[in-house]
Amino acid sequence: MDWNAILEFARGPLFKVALLVFIGGMFYRLVRVISLGWSKDKVDSKGSKVKGVLISYMKGFFILPFFPWVKNTFTKNPITFLAGGIFHLGLFLIIFLGTPHMLVWKSLIGIGWYTLPLPIVDWFAAVTIVSMIILLINRFVNPVLKLISGPAEKFNWLVVFIPMVTGYMMTHHLFFRYEALFSFHMLSVDFLLIWIPFSRISHFMFYFFSKSIHGAQFGKRAVTP
Amino acid sequence: MAEETIYEGMKRRGFSRREFLNTCSVIAASLGLSQLPFVNGQTFAQDSTSQKAVTDLVAATLKSKPKLPVIWIEIQSCTGCSEALTRSHSPSLKDLVLNHISVEYHETLSAAAGFQLEENKQKIMKEYNGKYVLVIEGSIPLADDGIYCVIGGRTSVDILKEAAAGAAAVISTGNCAAFGGIPHANPNPTDAVGVWKIITDKPVLNIPGCPAIPEVFTATLVHFLIFGALPELDSLNRPKAFYGNTIHDRCYRRPFYEAGKFALSFDDEAAQKGHCLYKLGCKGPITYNSCAVMKWDGGLSFPIQSGHPCLGCSEPNFWDGGGFYQGLSAPIEKPELVAVGAVAAAGAAVGLGMAMANNLKKKHLHKEQE
Repeated sequence: MDWNAILEFARGPLFKVALLVFIGGMFYRLVRVISLGWSKDKVDSKGSKVKGVLISYMKGFFILPFFPWVKNTFTKNPITFLAGGIFHLGLFLIIFLGTPHMLVWKSLIGIGWYTLPLPIVDWFAAVTIVSMIILLINRFVNPVLKLISGPAEKFNWLVVFIPMVTGYMMTHHLFFRYEALFSFHMLSVDFLLIWIPFSRISHFMFYFFSKSIHGAQFGKRAVTP
Repeated sequence: MAEETIYEGMKRRGFSRREFLNTCSVIAASLGLSQLPFVNGQTFAQDSTSQKAVTDLVAATLKSKPKLPVIWIEIQSCTGCSEALTRSHSPSLKDLVLNHISVEYHETLSAAAGFQLEENKQKIMKEYNGKYVLVIEGSIPLADDGIYCVIGGRTSVDILKEAAAGAAAVISTGNCAAFGGIPHANPNPTDAVGVWKIITDKPVLNIPGCPAIPEVFTATLVHFLIFGALPELDSLNRPKAFYGNTIHDRCYRRPFYEAGKFALSFDDEAAQKGHCLYKLGCKGPITYNSCAVMKWDGGLSFPIQSGHPCLGCSEPNFWDGGGFYQGLSAPIEKPELVAVGAVAAAGAAVGLGMAMANNLKKKHLHKEQE
């Protein structure tokens, strides 16, 4: 099989279409969510909502992750907290500081930056893959997660897991030819791009909205909310 | 009188037996053979694992076979592959032509030209029917009944089909003959294709490259001469012995890739230190060829050693692979800004439309409830 031809398709027209679907889909979702609107302040707030938002981000990014016992998220479900945290951190590092991924960003937005050496990104990738597997097992074992996990959750896990694992295999030339693994990787990434707007993986964008809204709520000083 | 064998020809020119056997060992070494390979599913000798067996087989072949007639046709080519062949080192073109093969037709190298050369080609094709090796250099244009490459009043498709009919083997040398090469690049105005898209009734061996590595070509030809069959091929009909590994796998700069040390421009400190050229667009990881091992000009250097990223010239469509200096991971096609704006606006419009419809529905329900 001519894998280079498949790779050419996956890196070429399919990627272009997938990216357009992703952009169009995300704008659609964004407008839909914003159009839901939010409640108006019935009483003037004495506190600063902007300050509330800033504190919320500070706490969420710089304080609570390092003092996890303060919140119930850690004490009640340490696996979700640790594996979930490592997964997200690893994913961001790989996507933004892995050399091949930076080159994708550079070709799309025109700006490049320094990247981490391969062995470091590689270790993060391995840890991220392991944490994803732990998260899946936890989903099947934890009684609460078992109840709230439908087919969509498992499918979303798979859609993120395949690009991760094919990327890792490709770097290490495991089992298949490089261009075959590169094709698997690109095809799965193309599918991921198309799938994100229509799935809960789109939370990466909405997370910031919900964090801001909650922060603003916390910043309010008024009798009625 | 029976046709003169290669050994007889060498003897006539004053080669001693020692020199002859020495030549046989060199040929065996140039094929990269330490033991007899499987050809058409069988070995040639009982003791196929000894190196002597290979030399013996080479000697026996040269003693029993006449020179291999070769017809070399250039179609849409730049003659770069012929030029490269003249710089072959082991075996050199001189060795090949004087001792092992007989180039009966070559538009650039033949002393004769025009109708005389064409007549000679017809004669050779008849005389060596089923025995000669046909080598094609350059792509074949199919558009408008093939009129974009006409030689002696005939289209190249005609010439190719005629010559291939009586050939013992067909070898496409260079990316153009193998996969269409540069003439095949977008927008491909002449509808140029590789030989194997036209000749489908017999195996076409591809030796892609821009140009093909001359030693790969000569060794393949010698393999055919010695074993009487084509070597083992990969899915793109390239000899596995030379196209079994990627450039990246055998690159001497690979440790820099692993360590994340990359040149960011052609004249920065990293480039001067010989760091990896991946960020400068090297296509080594997906390119199968022997450049990093065999190198060029008798093992002197190869593009990456000279500080330039691999262009991937032994792979199909290498010219349209998304820019030579763009990283391999970067997309080949990306949406234009207008398209991005259009889909973003369309997505927003659909979202807004649905939100408005929902609001209307909600208001309607409220009214009904009231």
